Amino acid sequence: MTNISATTAIEHAAGATRVAKRKSPTARGRLPVLILFLPPALLLFTIFVIMPMGEAAWYSLYRWDGYGLPEQFVGLRNFEVLFKNGAFLTALKNNFLIIVVSLLLQIPLAIWLATMLANRITGVVVFRLIFFLPYVLADVAAGLIWRFVYDGDYGLFAAVAGFLGVETPYVLADKDLAIYAVLAVVVWKYFGFHMMLFIAGLQSLDKSVLEAAEIDGATGWQKFRFVTLPLLGSTLRLSVFFAVVGSLQLFDMIMPLTGGGPFNSTQTMVTFLYNFGVTRMQVGLGSAVGVVLFVICVTLAFSYKRIFMRHD
Amino acid sequence: MLTIGKFGIRFASATAIGMLALCATAATASADAVVKWLHLELNPEYVKVWRSIADKYQAEHPGVKIEMQFLENEAFKAKLPTLLQSGDAPDFFYSWGGGVLKQQQATGALKDISGKMKEDGGAWGKSYNPAALKAVTFDSKISAVPYKMGTVSFFYNKAHFAKAGVDAAGIKTWDDFLAAVKKLKDAGIVPIAGGGGEKWPIHFYWSYLVMRNAGQQGFDAMKTGAGDGFVAPEAVKAGEQLAQLGKLEPFQPGYLATTWPQALGVFGDGKAAMILGFETTEAFQRRNAGDGKGLAGDNIGRFAFPVVAGGAGKATDTLGGINAWAVTAKAPPETLDFLAYLTNAENERMMAKAGMILPAAVGAEDGVTNPLLRESAKQLEASTWHQNFFDQELGPSVGRVVNDASVAIVSGQMSPEEGAQTIQDAVEMDKM
Amino acid sequence: MTETRTAIRMSAGTKIYLYVSLTIIAAIVVVPLLTTALGGFKTLGDLRVNPFGLPAEWQWSNYTDILFGERYWRQMMNSLIIATLTVFLTVSVAAMAAFTFAHVKFFGATFLLNYFLIGLMFPAATAILPLFIRIRDLGLLNSYWGVVLPQVAFGLGMSILLFRNYFRNLPEELFQAAFVDGCGYLRFFWHITLPLSRPIIATVAIVSFVASWNSYILPLIMLNSESIYPWPLGIMVYRGEFGTEWQLVLAFITLTILPTIIVFFLAQKHIIAGLTAGAVKS
Repeated sequence: MTNISATTAIEHAAGATRVAKRKSPTARGRLPVLILFLPPALLLFTIFVIMPMGEAAWYSLYRWDGYGLPEQFVGLRNFEVLFKNGAFLTALKNNFLIIVVSLLLQIPLAIWLATMLANRITGVVVFRLIFFLPYVLADVAAGLIWRFVYDGDYGLFAAVAGFLGVETPYVLADKDLAIYAVLAVVVWKYFGFHMMLFIAGLQSLDKSVLEAAEIDGATGWQKFRFVTLPLLGSTLRLSVFFAVVGSLQLFDMIMPLTGGGPFNSTQTMVTFLYNFGVTRMQVGLGSAVGVVLFVICVTLAFSYKRIFMRHD
Repeated sequence: MLTIGKFGIRFASATAIGMLALCATAATASADAVVKWLHLELNPEYVKVWRSIADKYQAEHPGVKIEMQFLENEAFKAKLPTLLQSGDAPDFFYSWGGGVLKQQQATGALKDISGKMKEDGGAWGKSYNPAALKAVTFDSKISAVPYKMGTVSFFYNKAHFAKAGVDAAGIKTWDDFLAAVKKLKDAGIVPIAGGGGEKWPIHFYWSYLVMRNAGQQGFDAMKTGAGDGFVAPEAVKAGEQLAQLGKLEPFQPGYLATTWPQALGVFGDGKAAMILGFETTEAFQRRNAGDGKGLAGDNIGRFAFPVVAGGAGKATDTLGGINAWAVTAKAPPETLDFLAYLTNAENERMMAKAGMILPAAVGAEDGVTNPLLRESAKQLEASTWHQNFFDQELGPSVGRVVNDASVAIVSGQMSPEEGAQTIQDAVEMDKM
Repeated sequence: MTETRTAIRMSAGTKIYLYVSLTIIAAIVVVPLLTTALGGFKTLGDLRVNPFGLPAEWQWSNYTDILFGERYWRQMMNSLIIATLTVFLTVSVAAMAAFTFAHVKFFGATFLLNYFLIGLMFPAATAILPLFIRIRDLGLLNSYWGVVLPQVAFGLGMSILLFRNYFRNLPEELFQAAFVDGCGYLRFFWHITLPLSRPIIATVAIVSFVASWNSYILPLIMLNSESIYPWPLGIMVYRGEFGTEWQLVLAFITLTILPTIIVFFLAQKHIIAGLTAGAVKS
């Protein structure tokens, strides 16, 4: 579950390895503190997280435009419609594609850069800062900036194409290319974050193992492949986890870039929810998307927990 | 532990938050009636005319304040459904009528004003063109005040046509049209300015082709799902004809990312010979042209969308908007009074004179003085079947798919059959 | 390659390879940002023929018009108000709850903690429609609270967890001493736990601030009037309104991300540590 990853993240960042102690003494006034301290969190959480999720499951069985009460019970029709809808299937596929690209492109890139920047070379701080910068920018801003970069009339792509003397590609208007353009922005925005995770991971490695490997005559690549990489296991799993979570909730960046178009070729599950559920006030259908997303998240969280527990 | 019922929590949360909310609520208490007007007009000159009418009304009716709010077209369409559910819904807003308006009315978000319209022997209702009033009436209820009528037709650059040796009067059939496109291309002129970025400008082509192929009865059958719906042979044929046009590459380069104002600019700059546009094309090409002047009025000609061989549709069938101001359920009574004023013959005549509209108010027709606008008005008067825009007529979900599919077909990204099928899928999903 | 000593023995070839690779990637990161900032100084025509280079003529008015206008400041203010409320509520509500989990033994504590941890598993978007309806029914649409409360609620799982883990690691002796002195829970929380917990408060505050500052989907659905739009929403409206006048849109983007960039460079250590620590839900 994600609590483990959060804990790990803190330990990575802080380098803390203290073992948790558990044996609190009891003091007077236990009841007042419980009555005072717990309810605010409990209320907020129940009203705005748990109940809406439960309601999503409930609404997903209805056809409802949000007015009055949901009355038109349709059973599982919403889900049926969803899994027959081309745009939704594309959205699922795109979410999957984003995960794949993260695994095959973004994380290797992050590891590669981390191995370079874990050294104390000149300019290391500047490079780290630059690479991390896109991560702090809002997705909306990043999306707009790249919308400009890709613009066939004014953007950088237009200029590069003009320089090369080829016809300007309108990448965001092409249903076969647009998703790759989006993927590039995702990598651009998030590789620095993953790189930071790996730098933290590399710096906490036990140096003596590497030295031992060196004495045994291992080459740079061998050291990396057989010593460093296996030792980075927990960071790697963490990084994969963030990539997956990030992919599943991708929305902010897509809206300024393509809004899910052209021809729904860049929908993700959340943009689909917005475009088909919210802007058309199809509460039932939108809630069904939410339920599917929820099931995927929970399944991933639990399978992640199992994999994680097995290794550590 | 968590046995508190849903209502318990609702109550608790309401009280807990009520306190917080108090701080955030802005002071809106005021003795005056405020009428909130939501529009999506980008043209500042139009907004100025509206504002001046509103100001005049305010001067005559102390205590009433007309507030104008603006949302950009796409944002407007995305935001409206949630907006209507909130306490901040505008009192009246721009509507294209059709299925979208009908759906909004069915939710109860709109006010039924048919009573008002029928008062005094229907004096108010009768002040509008019957076709316009009919377009906003569903199940004998009226929720919107007719504002203007419009028709879509081809506008062309006379100089370019002359240069390429094309005679606009000779374009009667789709084949004539395709031949003209080829001639223009051979003469080195971009035949058509297209706004593929916003998609709906391209859906005019598909809509007109469907109308020309299927005719009124055929289209009604498609709409109601009789027979094959939108996979009917006529619809597929329309797609094929559209694909034929697409294969000629008639649009300016990069048209798939071009917005509508940009497309008007392309036409206004003389960079394309034709545009399939609204009755107000002349005014808007001027505004969007690079030099702010665009083509001179007498350099622009106009012809109706051609017929197709063997089609059931007539050359006199027209596609166009019937626009109205939809009134929301909680609108104060002053809203109706103001709307009656805004759309009375005098004001509509003034707006027609400014080249803004083809009026929906009876008796304002003589305000149409611009020759091109006059031609559109005449075409509308002679219309044998005036059809609202498909993307509005078919409701919000199907409408968007129609737009998507039209662009996909013309750009060769989808076959006519696939296009027809996605539209039919959307219709079925909508109905479920 | 991964440790300090090899770095010192780096050959010239390795060095070139290293710096060339790093520079190319740095350029890919920086060029879009720089051209955005520069583009804001150009005319549309200049932008069209020359998106990369320096402006032919510096159009300061693109920027000054925005800076002297009310719109930009209003949006920044709205974002700031929403983020501040979110941070304040998240920190106080989560710290209090976490305190009970860390130090007070009570029946059902484990169950309750796990209950909160459910919130870590799915994003707010999952339940966005029911949330909209809830906020509507509470009459909080188009108010700051309509955005703040769901944001706080969805940040609770993560924040409670961070706080609880930190509180539990505070030295045990403190409690013994305090309780022997007759100090109750409330005073202990206020006078000992909180002052000792500055680092974790900073982490939670940074995470929730950045998340709120950048958040788009909740304001998009909950807010209706431009007067209370935070900047991500405002910038989209601006772009819709000015369409293809890219030079203005670029100037606007530059000005809106400028505060983030400045703060990032000033407090980079804390921000990087905070964000990598608590990125689960950003």
